[in-house]
Amino acid sequence: MFKLTFKQTTIGLLLFSLVLASISCAASALKNEEFFGKVEVPRDNVMRYISGDEPESLDPQLSSGQPEGRIFMALYEGLVEYDAKTMDPVPAIAERWDENNDSSEFVFHLRRNARWSNGDSISAKDFVYTFRRGLAPELLARSASLASYIRQAENYNQGAVFVKDPKTNQFLLEKDFGTQATTIPLSQAPLSAAAPEYKPSAAEPTPDKDTEFHQRMHSPERLALPGDEKSRKAILAKNPKLQEAVIGKEFVPVGPEDLGIEAVDDYTLRISLKQSTPFFVGVLANNFFRLVPQKIVERYGRDWTNPAHIVTNGPFKMKSWRPYNELAVERDPMYWDTANVRLDGIRFFPMSDQPTMMNLYRVGEVDAVSNHAIISAWIDEVRYRKDYMAAPEAAVIYIVMNTTKPPMNDVRVRHAFDLALDKDTAMKWRKIVKPLRGITPHGIFAGYPEPKVAEFDAAKARQLMTEAGYPVITNPDGTFSCPSFPIDQVEYTFPTAPSNKITAEFWQSQWKKHLGLTVPLRSMEFKTFVDARSKLDYKGFAFGAWGADYMDPFTFLSLFYTAEHDNNTGWWDKRYVDLLDEANRNPDRAKRFALLAQAEQLLVDAQPIISVETATVNWTKKPYVKGMYPNAGSLFPWKHIYFERDRSKWDYGTPSLAANPTDQSSDSTLGN
Amino acid sequence: MLRFIIRRLLITIPTILVVITLTWGLIKLAPGNFYTNERAIPRQLRQRIKEKYGYDKPWYVQYARTIWPIIRHQDFGISLKYQGQPVSTIIARSLPVSASVGLLAYLLALLVGITVGSIAALKQNSRWDYASMALAMLGISIPNFVLGPLLVLGFSLTLYWLPPARWDGFFSRNTILPVLTLSAIYMAYIARLTRAGMLEVLRSDYIRTARSKGLRERDVVIRHALRAGLMPVVSFTGPALAFLLTGTVVVEKIFALPGLGNYFIQASLNRDEPLIIGIVAFIAITLLLMNLLVDIAYAYLDPRIRY
Repeated sequence: MFKLTFKQTTIGLLLFSLVLASISCAASALKNEEFFGKVEVPRDNVMRYISGDEPESLDPQLSSGQPEGRIFMALYEGLVEYDAKTMDPVPAIAERWDENNDSSEFVFHLRRNARWSNGDSISAKDFVYTFRRGLAPELLARSASLASYIRQAENYNQGAVFVKDPKTNQFLLEKDFGTQATTIPLSQAPLSAAAPEYKPSAAEPTPDKDTEFHQRMHSPERLALPGDEKSRKAILAKNPKLQEAVIGKEFVPVGPEDLGIEAVDDYTLRISLKQSTPFFVGVLANNFFRLVPQKIVERYGRDWTNPAHIVTNGPFKMKSWRPYNELAVERDPMYWDTANVRLDGIRFFPMSDQPTMMNLYRVGEVDAVSNHAIISAWIDEVRYRKDYMAAPEAAVIYIVMNTTKPPMNDVRVRHAFDLALDKDTAMKWRKIVKPLRGITPHGIFAGYPEPKVAEFDAAKARQLMTEAGYPVITNPDGTFSCPSFPIDQVEYTFPTAPSNKITAEFWQSQWKKHLGLTVPLRSMEFKTFVDARSKLDYKGFAFGAWGADYMDPFTFLSLFYTAEHDNNTGWWDKRYVDLLDEANRNPDRAKRFALLAQAEQLLVDAQPIISVETATVNWTKKPYVKGMYPNAGSLFPWKHIYFERDRSKWDYGTPSLAANPTDQSSDSTLGN
Repeated sequence: MLRFIIRRLLITIPTILVVITLTWGLIKLAPGNFYTNERAIPRQLRQRIKEKYGYDKPWYVQYARTIWPIIRHQDFGISLKYQGQPVSTIIARSLPVSASVGLLAYLLALLVGITVGSIAALKQNSRWDYASMALAMLGISIPNFVLGPLLVLGFSLTLYWLPPARWDGFFSRNTILPVLTLSAIYMAYIARLTRAGMLEVLRSDYIRTARSKGLRERDVVIRHALRAGLMPVVSFTGPALAFLLTGTVVVEKIFALPGLGNYFIQASLNRDEPLIIGIVAFIAITLLLMNLLVDIAYAYLDPRIRY
């Protein structure tokens, strides 16, 4: 008979803990290392990058996510590309562009040597095709709204109709029915009336030639009505004058040829907008505007992105695709700038589990990981190393409040909950994030004046609650309570994730401490949450986050441009919208920013949201990966990236994001 | 026997349809849609998407549109999230990954489990018995989401022997850690089942008869005791193998394997209706077939069972 004695058990346990201890010792030995894990420059010039979630599709107009965007920047190119550091638009297929005086029309001059990966040359017609395809209602492209600045884009995309008089062939005009009373942009003003619309430049002393199409564009906007009868009738019922005018008229669907996109010649593309849009060129770097090959799309339909058929026009072309595992691209010899493409290829690894990403990085199986790869528990382990990328991100986190239901429909209550959050303490505790004032991220848009916000003031918060009819009582032990507040009418709802839960508990404790209110927390599966929030089907507070679509404050301010879409608060103010419109008409950047900031101040004062934090990028790259910068959108122009084999030229720490042209030129002489 | 198999196969069909119907109902009950995202999409676009996929129709029409192609052509449709990829293609692509890892893990579990379990039974109450059963207890109690990262910590991050994740084909070093992680709990289970089964059989009359006939101990153990002693293992094998072959969510996620389990969890989060239904149906079919195989195997292993 054999029995484990106490002694043997102890020895066994000791041995077991020794094994565990040695493992954790080896792990903590890493603490003193300069970089996170192994640093060994790969022998071949092929970068291995974790791109995030599995791409939905390889069609740049159909997938809108960031993981896809990173891959598309290797495979496809559009008129402009993001700058590696600032993310401002830089020339890609368009060599240069002209902007008219009120930013309502743009002319792009294309380079003549741009080609598809099958050798076909690229012309302005390819852009006309691509833009029309993206906006076609049947494509169901989810990011089509990015193009809504283009004339008739929204109407075409939503299947709207023009109203035509069959006798005279004349269309009803928008200005006659006052559905939209705004200042007419230059792109709609008669050509002769407008003084020189474009400022002459060194490259182009006289404006581009006039065409029939251009003249048609420069005429008052046609009236468009919804394509489906039900919504149309609803609109007509509200406008008797219009109802009378449409009698006996024909409804003509808005077609692709009505869009404000014109191939003036093979290498000139003119885009007419429906309004002044100073940031328009920046929007064009988005995936949605990257070229798709007409011939291949028409021949293979949906299947055109199949690796056997796909034709691309970026610095890299498709090599192989094993879904959920690896998408490999190789340098495209047909690419117009192929001489300056430094890597021979890139292997994109789709992955969603963050610790797995960092494990692969640590053993040196990948050269860089996607943004937000480091979970909060690992931050201290990684952030002091020289391969950690520390930089602000064009993304914000905030709390939305349901302003349509009591008690949150009272602005004093909303202010009180904001004032009762000690954000400085929150910043220290969150370690890597930056403060947020209003809705535009901190430290991203140079020259943008941030709105004035009230600092943390618990006493004032309690006073405001009292004023709103919910007196806050001081208990004998120094704590607070607010018994009259209908606490069952509020809760904080957030999408299920460990990181969200921790922050939610932090805010909850703050409100408890300073207002004496314990706001219940409620976590929801992501899609369930998004669905509920967009229907304002939440009580009190909900999690909010937004990332920039393009590098302009408007991408954040426009969240509250309409009461629906991504507003999620129910708050809407005409003055806010008017200020934004006025700002966008202003050609002067500083004045425009001042007007935008004025609108933001209005938002801050009405407080439909509680600003929480500006996100920071949170990823690592091996020090030998050069030309890759932690820009605010974590989108990388791959062609500038290369492996540096000389240790003295490695990046020790976050590479500077300051635009430095001399640094760029020295980059191109180095390498290999 | 043949009649039994045919009868069982026929029952499979309505069972699968019930499973599909229940899955479909659960998806419909879940809030949100495959196009629900952080970014709201314009109302008209949402309406057109609904029209395109028939989501604007009454529930019975939607149900018919789902179930009819499945009955008629065994066509599960095209993934909503991974645009343009048919469900059958996705399953055909990810099944080999899950199946090879699962099969390898199970073979390893059988080999180690039966050996250890038999030794433990034959040497009952010895050091071997206690040590192996203690290990087996450990194997059962440590969940694979703990064991996987521990193995990664030891073999990848500390020793740098094996890659911590990713699939690189069946014959690669990447396969070792997921197989080990996956097989541990089965190894432990099989060892315990074998031990229990063997102990019971070794005390039975026919083993005493065999011994008294003067058979060699090796023959007694291998030809008589083991065969009967493995019955519990066999009944465990069916569902276990079905589960292993069709992918295990946790291990595939930890090791970033492009298997069915990984697709299944993503499909549920994405509300990718055709893909969810396709994978659920596939798992159900595999499970039913495995159970059938187990029942057939019973007949061969136990002379007393006849259908």
